[in-house]
Amino acid sequence: MRLPTRPPTSPHVPPRPAVSRFSLIFQPVKPAPIYLDHAATTPVRPEVLEAMAPFFDARFGNPSSTHRWGREARTALDEARERVAACMGAAPDEVCFTSGGTEADNLAILGAWRMLRGNGRNAVVTSPIEHKAVLESVHQAGREGAEERFIAVDSTGTVQLDDARARISGDVALVSVMWINNEVGTIQPIAELAALAKANGAVFHTDAVQAFGKVEVDARKIPFDFASFSGHKIGAPKGIGAMFLRRGAPLEPLFFGGSQDRGRRPGTENVAFAVGLAKACELANAERSEHSAKYRAWRDRLEAAIREQVSDVVVNGDGAERAPHILNVSVPGVDSQSFLMALDLHGIACSGGSACQSGSTGGSHVLAAMHPKAPAGASVRMSVGTLTDDGAVARAAEVFTKLALKARGLVTA
Amino acid sequence: MADKPRVLVAMSGGVDSSVAAALLVRQGYDCVGVTMKLFEDGAELPDRPCCSLDSTSDARRVAQQLDIPHYVLNMVDHFGRDVIADFVSEYASGRTPIPCVRCNTFTKFSDLVTKADAIDAPFVATGHYARVADGRLLRGADDNKDQTYFLWGIDRGVVPRLILPVGELTKTETRQIARDLQLPRVADKAESQEICFVPDGDYMAILKRELPADAPALTPGPFVLSDGTLVGAHNGFAQYTIGQRRALPGGFSEPMFVTAIRPADRAVVLGPRAELLGKALIARGTNWLGDVPRVGDAVGVRVRHRAPIAPGEVIRMDGDEIEVALDAPVAAIAPGQSAVFYRADVVLGGGFIASATPVTLNTRALPIRRTPSSGAPVRS
Repeated sequence: MRLPTRPPTSPHVPPRPAVSRFSLIFQPVKPAPIYLDHAATTPVRPEVLEAMAPFFDARFGNPSSTHRWGREARTALDEARERVAACMGAAPDEVCFTSGGTEADNLAILGAWRMLRGNGRNAVVTSPIEHKAVLESVHQAGREGAEERFIAVDSTGTVQLDDARARISGDVALVSVMWINNEVGTIQPIAELAALAKANGAVFHTDAVQAFGKVEVDARKIPFDFASFSGHKIGAPKGIGAMFLRRGAPLEPLFFGGSQDRGRRPGTENVAFAVGLAKACELANAERSEHSAKYRAWRDRLEAAIREQVSDVVVNGDGAERAPHILNVSVPGVDSQSFLMALDLHGIACSGGSACQSGSTGGSHVLAAMHPKAPAGASVRMSVGTLTDDGAVARAAEVFTKLALKARGLVTA
Repeated sequence: MADKPRVLVAMSGGVDSSVAAALLVRQGYDCVGVTMKLFEDGAELPDRPCCSLDSTSDARRVAQQLDIPHYVLNMVDHFGRDVIADFVSEYASGRTPIPCVRCNTFTKFSDLVTKADAIDAPFVATGHYARVADGRLLRGADDNKDQTYFLWGIDRGVVPRLILPVGELTKTETRQIARDLQLPRVADKAESQEICFVPDGDYMAILKRELPADAPALTPGPFVLSDGTLVGAHNGFAQYTIGQRRALPGGFSEPMFVTAIRPADRAVVLGPRAELLGKALIARGTNWLGDVPRVGDAVGVRVRHRAPIAPGEVIRMDGDEIEVALDAPVAAIAPGQSAVFYRADVVLGGGFIASATPVTLNTRALPIRRTPSSGAPVRS
C-alpha cells in the first residue's frame, strides 16, 4: 500500500509497528466465541448433510421427470414427505414443503382466508405477539377486506383465553396463534385455542416453528388445521420448511405453475432439502425429551446466575409455561444496542428480540404487548441448543452479569 | 493482532471511512466498525452515496475484508429528533440549516461516543477530512476537502478521543489507498455531496411531508426589493436561500440575488450583489473547542463550506453570542448556516449565524432597472 506522503501529525496515529514472529506466538488466548442464538438459526447437522449429499450428486433428477433419474428423485421426495408427516402425526398428503416458516405462514393464512372470505365469515383472529410473518399476512388479509382481531396477552406473554372466547365467534374465518413465542419462549394454550376455533366453525393455524423438537407437536392430539415448520431451527438448511394442512382444509395457492404438490405449491421441489428436513425432524423427535431436559437445565442455570448477580433483571415470560431453550431478560436502564455489541465483543452471540427484527426502529413488539408501559432497557434473548455445553453457560452467565453491572455506570443513549 | 486500544470506527460504506478503518487496522488498533442507520430508507429511496441499505452492506463487506467486527446501530429516533426535525423547523423559519453540523454534534460525536464508552473504546474514528493534534482540531491536509466547517459543534472533551486518519490525506491519495488495499467496491464511489436523508436533493419533498400544507414557508409570498418594491410572487420562501440566483424573476439590468428572507410577511428580498455583502456577523449558540477567543482577537471566519477563510476581528463576546467584524466584506452570510472560526489551521469553534451587518451602501440610486418590456416597476 502507498502510505500518506505527509508524516502524520496526530499522536493517535503512530506508524504501524513492526510485527515480530513472537507477537504471533504470544498472543493472549482469546476464548472461542459462544453461540447462544439457537432460536435464530442452528448449524446443519452432520447427519442431515450426509442424507442430502446424494441429491447434489448422482441423484440430481427432477421429481416430475418420467425417466429413471426422475423416478429416483420422486421416490426420495415422497419418502421425505412421509417421514416428515410421521413426525407430526399427519398423513403424507397433509404436508406441503415450503421455502421456510414465513412461506408456510403466508400460505396457510392467506390461502385459507382467500378461500373462506365472502361467506359470512370475515374476521381473522391472531395475537399481538406473533412472528412478523403471521402479523403481516393477517394485515394483508385486512387489506383484502378481513376484520383483524387481536387476542390480548398478559404480562407473562401468554394469550388470555377469556379474551379469546370473547373474540372467537361465528363470524371468524381463521384463528392463528403461535405455539411458542420466538422472543420470550412462552408456550401458548394451543389445545384450548384450537378447540375454541373448531367449536365456532373457524379454521385454526399455529406457527410451530419454535415448538417442533421442543414440545410434542401431534396433529392427532390437537385439532389444528394448519401448522408452520422451519428446517433451519432444527438442524436442516435455511430455505426449507413445511406446512401441515389437515385433509379438507381450505387452501388457495399463492403460486401458480406446474402440478407439483397437487398444485398447492408449484415449482420443482427441493428434493435434497426435503430429505434433509425429514432427517432433521426425525432426529429432533427422537431427541426431544433428552434435549428438552438438558436445555431446560442450562437455561435455568443461566437464569439463576443472572438473577443472583443483577437483582433487578426482568425475566420476560416469568410465571408462564416456557419453552426450554429460550431465556429473555431485560436489564433496566441499559442501552440495548450497546449491550448487544459489548456481549458480542466479549464472545457471547445472542440477540435483542428476534433476529428478523434487527434494524427496525422500535423495540420488540412482543415486549411492548406484554408491558405496555415498559421502562427502557436492554432486552436480550439467549437460546441454548446443540452448540451449548456447561462451560458455555457458565461463561455466558459470568460475562453477561459483568457487562450488565458495568453498563449501569454509563449514560444510556 | 490488535495491540493498540480499541477504536469505534464509524463506517458509512464510502471510501473515506473505509480507508480510515483499513489504516487503523494496519496500525494495530482494535477496530470495531459501526454503521449508523439514521432514517428509514424505504423502497422509495434510490441508493444514496451514504448511509443507505446498499452503503450499509458495503460497510459490512469492508469490515469483513478487514476482519473486524461490524454492527448496524439504529439511531433513527435520535437523528429524527436532533437533525431532521431541526432541518425542517429551520427552513420553516426562513433559515438555511446545515444538518451535517447537527449530525456531527448530536449524533456522530455524542450518541456514538456513548456507544464507544459502552464497548470500552477510548477512541472514535471517522472518515472526516480534519486532523487532531495535541487535543486540538485542525483543518484537513487537503484544502479542497477540509470538513472542519461541519465539526465545530462537537464537545471539546471528545476532540482528544478522535482519530481522523484520512485528514492527513488528499482525496486522491485516499482513493489510491483504497485501490491499493483492494477495496474496489468503495474506491471509485461517487462523492456524497447531498444531504443523506434528502433523496435527489429534493428537500422540498421532505418539508412538504413534515410541515402542514398551510405552513407559511410553503405558502405563496412576495418578491420585494430592499426598498419594498414588489417585483413578483413566489410559491413559498422555503425554496430560497440567501445568495441564490436561480428561480428568481428576470428582467433586471444586473444579476439579482436573494438577500434576505422575511418569514413575518413571507417576503423574499432581492438585490444586486452589493446588497449581499456583509461587513460583520453575529453568531449564536457558540461552541469552543479550545481557548475561547477574546474581544480584539484576530480570527479567520468561514461562513460556508469551502468558502475562503475571511480575516476578521472579534468585536463582542456575550454569553454564547459572538460578533465579528470582517476585514473585507463577505457575500451571502446566511442565517442558519454556520460561522466557523479559525486561527491558522486550528479550529477554534463556531456558532450559527444569526444575522449579518450589511455593508453601508451609497445613497446614490441603485442601478436596478427592469427592462421596460417586462412591465415591472422601474426604480430611478
